[in-house]
Amino acid sequence: MYHVKQADIVIIGSGAAGTMSAIYAHRADPGLKVVVLDKSKMETSGGAGRGMDALNTVALPPYSQPEDVVELMTKVTEGILDQQVAYRFGEICPRMVADLEQIMEREKGDLFPVDENGNYRLMYLHPIDKPLLLPMDGEEMKRALAHAVRQTGAEVMDRTPAIKIVTSGGKVCGVLAVNIRTGHYYYIKTKAVCLTTGAAGRMGLASSGYLAGTYEFPGCSGDGYAMAYEAGAELVNMECFQANTLLKDHQGPSCGYVAAPRGAYTVNPWDERTWSHGYSSGDSKMGAWKRFTQGRGPIYLKMDHLDEQMIQIIEKIQWGNERTSRGLFHQSREQNYRNAHAVELAFAEEVGVCGGHSSSGVLSDTTGVSNVPGLYVAGDVDGGLPHSYLGGALAMGGLIGEEAAHYASGIPEPEQRTGLKAWLRKEAAEFEAPLGREGGLPTSLVEFKARARVQYYLKPPKNPVFLEKAAWWMERIRQEDLPRIQAVSLHDLFKVQEIKSILTVGEMMARSSLFREESRWGYQHWRVDMPAKKPEWEGVWVVIKKGEGGEMTLAKRQSPAHQWEYPTSMEYAYPDLEFDTGPMFQKGPEWKNPKDDPWMKAHLDAQGMATPRRFMAKEEN
Amino acid sequence: MSQVNGVEYGEKDFSWLKFDRERCVRCGVCVDMCPMDVIHFGSQGYPYMRYRDDCWYCDVCTFMCPRQAIVMEELPYLIR
Ligand SMILES: Cc1cc2nc3c(=O)[nH]c(=O)nc-3n(C[C@H](O)[C@H](O)[C@H](O)COP(=O)(O)OP(=O)(O)OC[C@H]3O[C@@H](n4cnc5c(N)ncnc54)[C@H](O)[C@@H]3O)c2cc1C
Ligand code: SF4
Ligand code: SF4
Repeated sequence: MYHVKQADIVIIGSGAAGTMSAIYAHRADPGLKVVVLDKSKMETSGGAGRGMDALNTVALPPYSQPEDVVELMTKVTEGILDQQVAYRFGEICPRMVADLEQIMEREKGDLFPVDENGNYRLMYLHPIDKPLLLPMDGEEMKRALAHAVRQTGAEVMDRTPAIKIVTSGGKVCGVLAVNIRTGHYYYIKTKAVCLTTGAAGRMGLASSGYLAGTYEFPGCSGDGYAMAYEAGAELVNMECFQANTLLKDHQGPSCGYVAAPRGAYTVNPWDERTWSHGYSSGDSKMGAWKRFTQGRGPIYLKMDHLDEQMIQIIEKIQWGNERTSRGLFHQSREQNYRNAHAVELAFAEEVGVCGGHSSSGVLSDTTGVSNVPGLYVAGDVDGGLPHSYLGGALAMGGLIGEEAAHYASGIPEPEQRTGLKAWLRKEAAEFEAPLGREGGLPTSLVEFKARARVQYYLKPPKNPVFLEKAAWWMERIRQEDLPRIQAVSLHDLFKVQEIKSILTVGEMMARSSLFREESRWGYQHWRVDMPAKKPEWEGVWVVIKKGEGGEMTLAKRQSPAHQWEYPTSMEYAYPDLEFDTGPMFQKGPEWKNPKDDPWMKAHLDAQGMATPRRFMAKEEN
Repeated sequence: MSQVNGVEYGEKDFSWLKFDRERCVRCGVCVDMCPMDVIHFGSQGYPYMRYRDDCWYCDVCTFMCPRQAIVMEELPYLIR
């Protein structure tokens, strides 16, 4: 069944950013019709669905200023950013924090800790001299945000993922979505879209062994990246991969951002620290990688030196918020925070891309708009604001809601294509094709294959042969497997769409990594054939966009000149990979594949077999 | 019974969430709230993990159930 609807703003993804977009859009202009789509359920969806224990990066005076956010971001992106966007985020942090307290109906000092003067008490984590981490008792955050969104009167469509952002004349004009429980299709005519679909976090295979056992919320399968790309948006930093140090097998956060600001750090079995700071940037990932590849792993989160009270605080936070199955997990593994070498971490088991944890996504400016008029982005899918985590999603989510409202209030209804119904029928038939297919490939099998290729060929260190192979595999799976895939339920059907997103994002990761002919951001873009930063790539984005003929185009673009002079590098070196393997087998001049290998002959004789022909050396002419 | 990728998943098949039928009032909160669409009502009107392997072990269902009828008894087999 098809339904055509009308809206001023469609918000795609009601996670942290999307819910704030809806709230701010309504505040900016209560007369606007806002539709909120989510493939999941607004009250519980996204990275923060079960709660969150900190805003990892925020600037709150007097402890830290917007400039400090600029300093951090300049440093960890090695200078490749628009500092004005970072500054804008820093500026609006206080209003976001105040709003969150009000939305969650919490007193000052209750949701976030304050000091004796009533100032928010930030903690140190980042590789700069200012505190930017704000602890939070945020278990109920998503429920409160969802409640506030429902109160605005916005039309909330849960379990209704968007599958296409439609443009006319290069501007946003509609969104196509399908309800995965009813199978109904919706075409929503709209002036603006807030794209807040989160990370591409279901890329490389997770070591949990489950396709959904990822670090990121598994619903964040890169749909936003793929939809924006198809709609003509520009994406950047797709070569700057996210690869985390995680709880071995569980794939949950390593607990570092809770424990590190409270005195913990990561060590190997010889108690050598893996890196000088606990912040997850390319240099520290390189440190972790080295430990493992030198056979000097595993890595442990060291907490046994902390006093009992601190350990209990960490336990309370870790087990009661965010990924609460952590407590059960530690218990089942007999991991006690009080013991040395208790909490085992694994590194880089799954590669992916994310704007919030790293810097990959749709390029946006200080108003959150992309190059496509009417298409606004925020949160993990946003490549314009790097390393901003939940604080960035909430603050910039609000900002784009406001900006989209101003934009939508000021323009007429966009033109729509002619023959809308016929087009809709065609799109729906294409989307549904896997449902009717008898005896096709199971979705889980195809997803496994795509993600196994991503993990094998894209995981750094990178080289051009691997990268080419990754791109080749994405295309091959698209051509060979997608036409044969079979979905057995509506629930299953959407996975086909997610696989398409994974293939598009995988190709972007490969092509972007090939294009950037240097190494940068430590482990995140380490090309062994070019293991150094190059001056011609300083401040340069790799911009990916869909070309006129449907091909993936890549271009260099200088990011805006810096207004603040901060260091644009971290201290690390690329390892020298010329491992000495000693003298290897050498063919002497007399050596040739013997016709009657005595060793083989003896074995075959013993088994009473004749020497098979395929074991024989070719007769030399 | 429901079919996932050609495999029949039954209501009694191994799963890490235990739904206590003594406590459950079949209100549907868990079916509504699971972010991964894992939980559905089974034949007798009680919830079960229909799409078991899509579970993110996020604990939302046990947290949201108004009757404390859901217990994450153990972790998913592969990560235990
Ligand atoms: C386990 C974990 C722990 C974390 N801990 C912290 C922390 O302590 N502090 C911190 O600052 N940050 C933390 N983060 C990061 C933080 O959660 C994210 O940066 C933040 O949630 C991003 O918000 P978002 O709105 O961009 O994405 P999300 O909140 O993930 O929301 C994305 C939404 O988009 C929906 N969606 C996806 N595809 C579609 C589609 N096609 N159509 C419709 N909807 C779609 C999803 O269902 C989801 O609801 C953590 C992340 C994880 C995964
Ligand atoms: S939420 Fe609890 S009481 Fe309600 S159906 Fe689910 S298990 Fe039963
Ligand atoms: S743990 Fe989370 S994903 Fe698994 S069934 Fe419960 S709510 Fe759904």
